[in-house]
Amino acid sequence: MLLLALSDAHIPDRATDLPVKFKKLLSVPDKISQVALLGNSTKSYDFLKFVNQISNNITIVRGEFDNGHLPSTKKDKASDNSRPMEEIPMNSIIRQGALKIGCCSGYTVVPKNDPLSLLALARQLDVDILLWGGTHNVEAYTLEGKFFVNPGSCTGAFNTDWPIVFDVEDSDEAVTSEVDKPTKENQSEDDDAKGGSTGTEQPGSYTPKEGTAGERENENESNVKPENQFKEDEVDMSDSDINGSNSPSFCLLDIQGNTCTLYIYLYVNGEVKVDKVVYEKE
Amino acid sequence: MAYADSPENAIAVIKQRTALMNRCLSQHKLMESLQHTSIMLTELRNPNLSPKKYYELYVIIFDSLTNLSTYLIENHPQNHHLADLYELVQYTGNVVPRLYLMITVGTSYLTFNEAPKKEILKDMIEMCRGVQNPIRGLFLRYYLSQRTKELLPEDDPSFNSQFIMNNFIEMNKLWVRLQHQGPLRERETRTRERKELQILVGSQLVRLSQIIDDNFQMYKQDILPTILEQVIQCRDLVSQEYLLDVICQVFADEFHLKTLDTLLQTTLHLNPDVSINKIVLTLVDRLNDYVTRQLEDDPNATSTNAYLDMDVFGTFWDYLTVLNHERPDLSLQQFIPLVESVIVLSLKWYPNNFDNLNKLFELVLQKTKDYGQKNISLESEHLFLVLLSFQNSKLQLTSSTTAPPNSPVTSKKHFIFQLISQCQAYKNILALQSISLQKKVVNEIIDILMDREVEEMADNDSESKLHPPGHSAYLVIEDKLQVQRLLSICEPLIISRSGPPANVASSDTNIDEVFFNRHDEEESWILDPIQEKLAHLIHWIMNTTSRKQTMKNKIQFSLEAQLEILLLIKSSFIKGGINVKYTFPAIITNFWKLMRKCRMIQEYLLKKRPDNKTLLSHYSNLLKQMFKFVSRCINDIFNSCNNSCTDLILKLNLQCAILADQLQLNEISYDFFSQAFTIFEESLSDSKTQLQALIYIAQSLQKTRSLYKEAYYDSLIVRCTLHGSKLLKKQDQCRAVYLCSHLWWATEISNIGEEEGITDNFYRDGKRVLECLQRSLRVADSIMDNEQSCELMVEILNRCLYYFIHGDESETHISIKYINGLIELIKTNLKSLKLEDNSASMITNSISDLHITGENNVKTSSNADDGSVITDKESNVAIGSDGTYIQLNTLNGSSTLIHGVVATASGSKLLHQLKYIPIHHFQRTCEYIESQREVDDRFKVIYV
Repeated sequence: MLLLALSDAHIPDRATDLPVKFKKLLSVPDKISQVALLGNSTKSYDFLKFVNQISNNITIVRGEFDNGHLPSTKKDKASDNSRPMEEIPMNSIIRQGALKIGCCSGYTVVPKNDPLSLLALARQLDVDILLWGGTHNVEAYTLEGKFFVNPGSCTGAFNTDWPIVFDVEDSDEAVTSEVDKPTKENQSEDDDAKGGSTGTEQPGSYTPKEGTAGERENENESNVKPENQFKEDEVDMSDSDINGSNSPSFCLLDIQGNTCTLYIYLYVNGEVKVDKVVYEKE
Repeated sequence: MAYADSPENAIAVIKQRTALMNRCLSQHKLMESLQHTSIMLTELRNPNLSPKKYYELYVIIFDSLTNLSTYLIENHPQNHHLADLYELVQYTGNVVPRLYLMITVGTSYLTFNEAPKKEILKDMIEMCRGVQNPIRGLFLRYYLSQRTKELLPEDDPSFNSQFIMNNFIEMNKLWVRLQHQGPLRERETRTRERKELQILVGSQLVRLSQIIDDNFQMYKQDILPTILEQVIQCRDLVSQEYLLDVICQVFADEFHLKTLDTLLQTTLHLNPDVSINKIVLTLVDRLNDYVTRQLEDDPNATSTNAYLDMDVFGTFWDYLTVLNHERPDLSLQQFIPLVESVIVLSLKWYPNNFDNLNKLFELVLQKTKDYGQKNISLESEHLFLVLLSFQNSKLQLTSSTTAPPNSPVTSKKHFIFQLISQCQAYKNILALQSISLQKKVVNEIIDILMDREVEEMADNDSESKLHPPGHSAYLVIEDKLQVQRLLSICEPLIISRSGPPANVASSDTNIDEVFFNRHDEEESWILDPIQEKLAHLIHWIMNTTSRKQTMKNKIQFSLEAQLEILLLIKSSFIKGGINVKYTFPAIITNFWKLMRKCRMIQEYLLKKRPDNKTLLSHYSNLLKQMFKFVSRCINDIFNSCNNSCTDLILKLNLQCAILADQLQLNEISYDFFSQAFTIFEESLSDSKTQLQALIYIAQSLQKTRSLYKEAYYDSLIVRCTLHGSKLLKKQDQCRAVYLCSHLWWATEISNIGEEEGITDNFYRDGKRVLECLQRSLRVADSIMDNEQSCELMVEILNRCLYYFIHGDESETHISIKYINGLIELIKTNLKSLKLEDNSASMITNSISDLHITGENNVKTSSNADDGSVITDKESNVAIGSDGTYIQLNTLNGSSTLIHGVVATASGSKLLHQLKYIPIHHFQRTCEYIESQREVDDRFKVIYV
């Protein structure tokens, strides 16, 4: 039995669609018997339609940007006024074979993404496998005999978690040092700024000082000066860095008896990579 | 001689006479065979035959006459002389048989060089005037034309063309006359018959085109003027439409190019009912074919070929202007396809000239206004739809003349985008249409613009193949103005209401509106594909502007420019009113992205140009500005949606706070957190939403790092915990407070290099942690419902274990004594839970299980093997992290269908099971403690 775990689509707020290659992979009817949406995936008509085509057996748990109730379409509303709106639960449990699978979106797990907290939740729900989302990073590990799976974001949507802090690489240095050499006039300023740059890691070092608003008036003019000319494309900014370094990913769980074979699908540089992890309940 | 009374009989007669004729011929009895032929030909005199039947007879007779002709040629001049025969057949009694025979003999004679060709030809064509009945005359002349096809004198093209034209003119006259024969009520039938006969007339023009070959002088000076004069003079609808179409089709496209003016002028003098657009479209097709051919022959021919330099568009444009002026009666249904044809032409000839298109749209606009927009009928609405969304299949959209079309869709995308940004008139026409049509068109356009599959394919290609310049698959947005134009086009969708469709009767509408409003307040979410599409459009615009251009001379948007574009988008989408709840989150996301970018630039500058303070402060100001914009966006949602999406607003505020914290803007972060609290206090009413929101606030706060200064963090977490302790339900209070304990126990964030055990400056205060846990325990203890109280205690025990693992007692203040005390308390409570239960016998087993030892564990599982009631129940209900019960449903007993369903504890059966939740949860916790003993000695002193 195949269970598809999708999470954090964030369509249309943060992303437009799944990668086309993912869609092609998933567009096989009657193969996947159940879909678990682990949060932030209920605001797109097209996406829900797509998921519904994969399987109409869908388990949804609420993510921070989902509404408390299942969304409806205008047509539904007009045709069926009496139907009560279905609440989206925080947690949900799927029983499959000898395994119980818990679902949660992860936004009510404190501290966020903490393995021990997740373990406590798995214990509370009495499940063998815990699917969770909310971090946009695909993860799978075994802890205390339980299996923890985070399918990541299926669209690679923008993520507000702490981004990985990068150091500027040496290769950049060689190129850019030619572009800019500090001039002697700015020597005094230079010292000041160096003081600032050593404090990069310290909180608050970027807090703008009072009176910056006044300086800003002059700034537009001063920008014209040659030494202040600066092209932003010198800076290497990849989309994935801006989005929080996450690649689109999803997970497929093949459950047979007390064994779960997990397939992790990752979309990197236009290609789909697949990893396999096997979990067996003791 | 009479003709047969039915077509069937006629065919029989013809066949019989043909046989007789052939027999006589084989016996060289020419006179007799001519007799038979004459009788056979009499059938063609029948006035009651329909054109179709007449044609059938004609075909059979034609074959017979071919036999005769072959005989005549083979036996000349041994058995007879054709000149004599030509004289002889003149004596046939009836005019139709006589002329057929004459033509047969005459053309046979023409095969011999000694014959006086021109005289015979002239004589034959003159004699044909003898038949003035349209159908008979047409077929007779057609016969003449067929017979003389190969026999015209080779050395005199002008004579030949005159001969054919003469025939053509007469045929046309006959053809036109057919319309006016018979009673008026049969007019329709006449028209239909004429259409059946049109090929006969058209064949003459085909013949002409064959004769002319490439003799343009003759075409221009003699032929075209004569034909056109005929066309105009006959004033006949069918004839004019058909003949002009044939003219356009059969003659060389180069000729058309050179006589374009004349052709177009002609259409001005036609019968008012003629659909000019068909003719123009045919002409445009021909001219476009010409371009295609030229390009195929020589892709670089554009500059060298003289014809391509001609102002073809100018000619058409002048024509349209005159037409519009002289024919104000032309309806939109006729006019729009006409303009569309010229658009097709312009796109082919001048693919990059949008002024032309603008002119054309301007004209349509003028026309529409003159016509009165209220008169736009449904049909013309469809025409507008086709026109405005470029669905016409003739539009072979290519992006440039020189490069072969890579993929038509991509090019259409480029085309439409250019059109929107350059043609003001397009927008104006669109604005004249009904709202529903505008929506349809805009929808279509957005779909084309954002066709994602093509983009992704291009994405993969771009690395392997280099695109020729000017042919990148991506759209390039060049400036703000383009975005502005695009957005103004989209306005009908932006402001569209997600209400019921307009065609619903008014009384229903009211009810529905009430209904919708009611639901909006209940925080339901109605999916709206249109608004969703607009949100995609926002991403699309921003992605397009931030994409790095591979070509050097292309524009790269600076951060500031992108910000301006985003603000432009925002000011455009604010018009959507309540729709902003669909679109603004997308705008806010893009602000967030720009913030991260800005941060990267700052970091870069700090590393590379630490001396440049102006730049640094420029970007730090930009960053602060962006937070203000986002705050404004959030307020806009709040103001536009009344109270319908407070939860969303709270969460957007929190996300901003998180981002600001990551960017080390502690004041801003604090403000956003405060905003979130304000919303929490003032606008969240539902207790479930409150609990979830509070937990989320706690989770977010726990991951902040910049707020420690100025005691921001302290004040926020105290506020958070305080709110937690004031929640409506006691169980919510308890859960919120024990989760808030984590606020005094920061944990590692590996992304920023923190590591448990290595980083030593975590924000940790074990005393407070303990206080929180104690407080939540007090709340749990005070809950009257014993089962809930127990469950909460077990949950608190699990929290205690979390801290127990995390640190030494001296730090966490969670002592073994405390944990053991808690365990004792839970055991006691579980016992009293048992006392509550009436059916004590059922539960004895599991209560005894509470004294968990290794053996007891085994015992439990052996119970399970017995299939006892308890184990069955055990697995059916669980409690979620927010205290809701989750019931496991096994549908059909099949392997797949199990749903987690939130169940209110209703039904006595279910109620009964609930008692087992804390019991089993405690059991599992104890098992966990035991298993931990193997890895952590400290666990050995916890007594379970």
